[in-house]
Amino acid sequence: MKIKYIYIALSVAFLSSCTKLDENIYDKVPADEFFALPGAAASSLASVYAQMPGNWDGVGYAGADRGWYDLNEMSADYQVVPHRTTGDWELDFARLYKREWLPSDGFMNNTWNWLYKSIYRANRSIAQLETAKADPSAIAEAKVLRAFFYYLLIDDFGDVPFFTVNDTPVEQVPQAKRKEVYDFVVSELLANIDQLSSTKGGNYYGRFNKWAAYSLLAKVYLNAQVYTGTPMWNECLAACNKVSEGGFSLHSGAADASNKLGYKYYELFGDVLPDDETILAIYVTADIVGRNIFTVRSLGGTDGTNLFGAGAWNGSIVPQAFVEKFSNTDIRKRQFRYGANPYGPQPAGFINYSLEVLSLDNPGALPNAGARNQKFFPVAPISNGGSNDFPIYRYADILLMKAECNVRLGSAAVGKPFIDQVRERAGLNALTAAPTLDNIYDERGFELTWEGHRRQDMIRFGKFLLAHDFAPAVGPFRLLFPIPTAALNANKLLIQNPGY
Amino acid sequence: MKKLYFLKYGFLVCFIYSSIAVFAQTGSISGVVRDEMNQPLPGASVSLKGQTKSTSTGNDGRYKLTEIATGSQTIVVTFIGYQPQTRTISISAVTEVNFQLQASSSFLNEVVVVGYGTQRRRDVTGSVTTIASKDLNPGPITNPLQQIAGKAAGVNITQTGSEPGSAPSVRIRGITSLIGGNDPLIVVDGNQGGLDLLSQLPPSEIANIEVLKDASATAIYGSRGATGVIIVTTKKSKAGSTIVEYNAVSSIDVISKQLELLDANEWWTEAQKWGVTGANNHGANTDWFGLLTRNGSTQNHNVAMGGGTDNFNYRASVSAILQDGIVINSKNQNYIGRLQATQKALNNKLTVNMNLNTSFRNNTGSPTGIGRAIFRSNLISNAYVTRPTDPVYNTDGTYFIPSELFEPNNPYAIAQTVQNDGKINDTQGSLRADLEVASGLTAGVFGSWRKLDENTGYFLPAESTDATAINDKGSAEINSKQTNEQLLDLSLNYKKTFGDHSLDVIGVYEWQNQLYQGSRTRARGFGIELSSYNDLRWADITKVRAEDLFSYKNDRTLISYLGRVNYSYLDRYLLTASIRRDGSSVFGANHKWGNFPSASLAWRVDQEPFMKNQKVFNSLKLRGSYGVTGNQQGLVPQKSLNLVGIGSPSTVYFGGELINNYATIQNENPELRWETKYQTNIGLDFSVLNSRLSGTFDAFTATTKNLLFDYAVPSPPFEYTSIVANVGSVLNKGLEASLSYDVIKTDNTTLTLVANGSLLKNEVLSLSGTIGKAGTALTTDYVAWGNLNSSYLIVGKPIGAYYILQHEGIDPATGQELVVDQDGNGIIDQGNESPDRVLSGQALPKYNYAFTPSFSYKSFDVSMVWRGAGGNKIYNSIRKSLTLMENIGKSNMLKSAIPEAMFTSPYGSDFWLENGSYLRFENLTLGYRFNVSKLTYIKGVRLTLTANNLALFTKYSGIDPEVAANGGNNASTDNGIYPRVRSFALGLNISLK
Repeated sequence: MKIKYIYIALSVAFLSSCTKLDENIYDKVPADEFFALPGAAASSLASVYAQMPGNWDGVGYAGADRGWYDLNEMSADYQVVPHRTTGDWELDFARLYKREWLPSDGFMNNTWNWLYKSIYRANRSIAQLETAKADPSAIAEAKVLRAFFYYLLIDDFGDVPFFTVNDTPVEQVPQAKRKEVYDFVVSELLANIDQLSSTKGGNYYGRFNKWAAYSLLAKVYLNAQVYTGTPMWNECLAACNKVSEGGFSLHSGAADASNKLGYKYYELFGDVLPDDETILAIYVTADIVGRNIFTVRSLGGTDGTNLFGAGAWNGSIVPQAFVEKFSNTDIRKRQFRYGANPYGPQPAGFINYSLEVLSLDNPGALPNAGARNQKFFPVAPISNGGSNDFPIYRYADILLMKAECNVRLGSAAVGKPFIDQVRERAGLNALTAAPTLDNIYDERGFELTWEGHRRQDMIRFGKFLLAHDFAPAVGPFRLLFPIPTAALNANKLLIQNPGY
Repeated sequence: MKKLYFLKYGFLVCFIYSSIAVFAQTGSISGVVRDEMNQPLPGASVSLKGQTKSTSTGNDGRYKLTEIATGSQTIVVTFIGYQPQTRTISISAVTEVNFQLQASSSFLNEVVVVGYGTQRRRDVTGSVTTIASKDLNPGPITNPLQQIAGKAAGVNITQTGSEPGSAPSVRIRGITSLIGGNDPLIVVDGNQGGLDLLSQLPPSEIANIEVLKDASATAIYGSRGATGVIIVTTKKSKAGSTIVEYNAVSSIDVISKQLELLDANEWWTEAQKWGVTGANNHGANTDWFGLLTRNGSTQNHNVAMGGGTDNFNYRASVSAILQDGIVINSKNQNYIGRLQATQKALNNKLTVNMNLNTSFRNNTGSPTGIGRAIFRSNLISNAYVTRPTDPVYNTDGTYFIPSELFEPNNPYAIAQTVQNDGKINDTQGSLRADLEVASGLTAGVFGSWRKLDENTGYFLPAESTDATAINDKGSAEINSKQTNEQLLDLSLNYKKTFGDHSLDVIGVYEWQNQLYQGSRTRARGFGIELSSYNDLRWADITKVRAEDLFSYKNDRTLISYLGRVNYSYLDRYLLTASIRRDGSSVFGANHKWGNFPSASLAWRVDQEPFMKNQKVFNSLKLRGSYGVTGNQQGLVPQKSLNLVGIGSPSTVYFGGELINNYATIQNENPELRWETKYQTNIGLDFSVLNSRLSGTFDAFTATTKNLLFDYAVPSPPFEYTSIVANVGSVLNKGLEASLSYDVIKTDNTTLTLVANGSLLKNEVLSLSGTIGKAGTALTTDYVAWGNLNSSYLIVGKPIGAYYILQHEGIDPATGQELVVDQDGNGIIDQGNESPDRVLSGQALPKYNYAFTPSFSYKSFDVSMVWRGAGGNKIYNSIRKSLTLMENIGKSNMLKSAIPEAMFTSPYGSDFWLENGSYLRFENLTLGYRFNVSKLTYIKGVRLTLTANNLALFTKYSGIDPEVAANGGNNASTDNGIYPRVRSFALGLNISLK
């Protein structure tokens, strides 16, 4: 009798759960099931774009800190976060500015990991879209995105591991030559651009349409000499002309009392970027999608509270020499904030920043030293950054590229109207003579301050290794960043760039 | 009558063979048997040497033997856990003789719980340490692990700081797993669980604690026992007795050591040297550490009752453990109710036992994760870094905020205004039924179910001065977490003795499921902050972000089939063999099952005929074992699967709208399999000098293969930079010794010296493996482990070997630390395998030792615990933060920082490595037992005075060398801990008649 009960108990227990050890998945979905869902291929493309906005831990193209943007901008000549005598701010920013960066500094590793995760996601998106027989324009868009990330990689690191199919063993992901990756980027762009949508804004705001892709192609050609030794000025010019077919024009430079900095020009750095000039933007709503910390990080704490009701960080400054290059009539000078009568709002108790900075590291800058940048004057919602969108490519850049190509091709006079358009919009006079390369270089600095192009421009114009402000001249190995220490640790096949 | 007596108490001492015979009626002897505390001892066996006559003491400790021959007789009194006492007495017609038994240091006859059953200690073949209730550390105990600190060789208890409610960590025989699954299995009256199972155990309810160390002992718990097993048996009522008892311990806790920081004048003098301007000097002289700390207190109260008859017994208790921490506004309250009952039925063939435990724990925690982005830490570390010249209040009475700083805060305001409350309801029930189906054959069913509900509320008001809180205009968060653990055992047990052979066979089927589920909700923007986290609707609904809503659910299932045979021949040759087949849901689809055998042999040398005439050894046993155990508990579920979840960031702008960002969440590894430990143990148990000196020696080697580890992988080609994989193997070798010596043992006075020690050597044997679908080879040497960028896994070296840059000096031009360029190539390479690094010691202690003497004289007793460890180094990260003068503008500094004059350092160098060896005077207890024999209602009263952490001998400059040593991230790194207390406690124990 009792044995019978035990027998029943045993059989019940054994039958019901005896060998069932499959994992129960409650709060996620197995990848193969997920990607079989309708619309999943499209969401795989969206997840590549999710890599674009800046977020903490150094991810994203621009908007937050310690990632691609800081690496490329603070190694140039117009932005640095100095260590302060208040004890604030780590010294790796100053190291970056003085071109003393170390392979172990977090900027390198964050940038590397962000780019390769983006490429992984693009590879997968391409595979998923192809499997799902999606619209060819979506497949082309994913391929152009991947080319964008590879272009950023060779720009910073030179020879980099290259793969287009995920789940490839690491031994089969060789460190390809910079030129090989360059060739891949160019051929991918050429093969896919014309399948992209030509729609501007709307569904394509923040995405690679045809015009954004031609802008990218133009950028790649613009720097081809740096990457491969062979200049591609004609091809760059042709790509710029293709962009112009998109019907872009410079946004108004008119005065506007309702704008915090007094001119409509600054709408180019506001909430939703005007599509007359903006070609590719990063959509931002602070704490929802990315953030834009650049002005919040720059201004002093109480200025943040007084100017836009949120604490600011007293971080990044603009070196004196760079500020002083601007003409006082240039409306773009209004992006800087310093002195007793600063540009922009002057609420009670605003901070008087001195233009001079005595030290970037030991003992550091005084609390109110250094001009600040308010170009991305924060728009709501504001919380550890504003909600300003970020322009990756805009038409002023294309015009300056056209001017540059013409100058480099020996047709400076042909290039003159392009640079003059940009100058005149800013309230300056047209150049009195045909532009020189230095004119172009300076104008790019004025127009594109803090927009993520400076290091590349300095290298292309041969200025990067020269001394400026606190940064002494450095050897040519600094033209490339080192492969990050953590990447070398994890992959013994990688070869460090020379000099590191 | 006599037979009844036997029945009544016999089952308590069922292993003592006795029989009753009739003798010529000539005289009688009676009296009381008492324990060393002068308490009556029920159930003690009283017998006549060389005769079969015996009896057991009653509830009042009384015994009576009648019908014995007059004249000289030798009386033997025995009881589990006590030294047998033999006295020769002249028997007359009515003889009255009382006995007082002394606790034994060699419990050869004690019943040892060995997992799914019990054994006599003398029959145990594996490495098992038993700590009886009388040997548990007394004092203001908040977690049972504190009771066994220093009591068992090879069992290392580490208490990091004295935060209320924080539990110590425990490692048995070191670190044999890398992924964090190093916590031993805890078994409380048959219920299995993790370390938190101990949180619902009142210290005074513990009867004894067993620690299973070698493979033979732990194999029976194979799927969870690889890292050792701690078995806790709670007190049970004895038949015929009733108990009403009250225990109380109350302590005052003071800070034992604090860092020596600069005062206001010193700070300002030094700060000016480093370019700090008057803007940073707010002119106050504030002792932030003093403001944020106070004397704490710990109180334990326990009321227990119990009783029993032949076929029924119960015990119930209610306990409260109340702690007020030494940091202001930190406290923990733990209320525990326990009930257990055992009933026999079906003519004593069926035994049913139920247990019900409930614990309510309320914690008000000192906030963690506050402060600046680069220094998010606990409150006390924020008190260190706050400048002494910052005032607490503004002149208008609001909290002062140093607005010239990035993300400034006022730690006192945070302590006073942040609410951080946790409530845990922890209920566990179990039922065991054992049925004797046939002679020697028992079928058992055991089921346990534990439900743990944890609710926390966190409110960070704008007033707290925290930068995030000000930006958010206050934020609140509620978390809820549910854990549901179920276990079912079905067992068949057969015991039989055939002549000289004795056999005990058990077969078990076991099923376990652990379900984890929880959610978090956040809100921000509190126009009115009065509702705190209690109603989140007071917040600004427009400020909700996607990550403010979060919930999760996952589970783990384990299935095991196991069998064990205990065989003994002539009571001298003992064999235990077991085999189990375990399956765990957390592994890859084709790797869920593993087979884990073990075997052990013991030889009771003292029972051999050739030992009969020797006088040296009172007992001598040799043991040897080999076994294989599996580990999976450290592996979180679902790591083998390629899963899509909500990515980070959770939202993406695409196609003109905000949509969810669906993303694969990890590098999956379908090849995940059991981590397997192969352990060999040899041991020796002996007692000599009339059993006054006894001891145990063990030597073991344990090789863990297929080590589970969260391993750095290259990206590209991986999406994420780490993957959980089985990599390589490590070897642990150790020696353990325990000795106990009764220096003095008279009726009035005892002095016992007990010491134990262990040596542990570990070595990474190999690091190799492949991962993922593509079979990618792992990059397998110099793997970072523990302290980032300074300690590693290196083949041929111990786990957590420091491979670190060597400090050279300071660059006078920049104030930056210089390190030695070992290879002289002009570049300081900070890579893992950099030739600029040098080996410099290890993160894990090489040896541990303890000395626990005790002394008693009549009703007075003294005991001590001295405990130490060494051979390791600690990376003193908080010292680095408080030394580098780049911080002085915003931070207070150590006094020792002034002569260093180091401005900054981009390196982790050996300058911050310190010797971690220590010796701690852990416990001193004085006890006095009042003579209450004349009182009508009181059975016993005992008073104790305990001092904890009385002295610490160490060269370590931080506040305590017991920093995180549990083998996770940041092992042996001091990032600033909650202070360690020194406590003085008064304890009272009253039992009623």
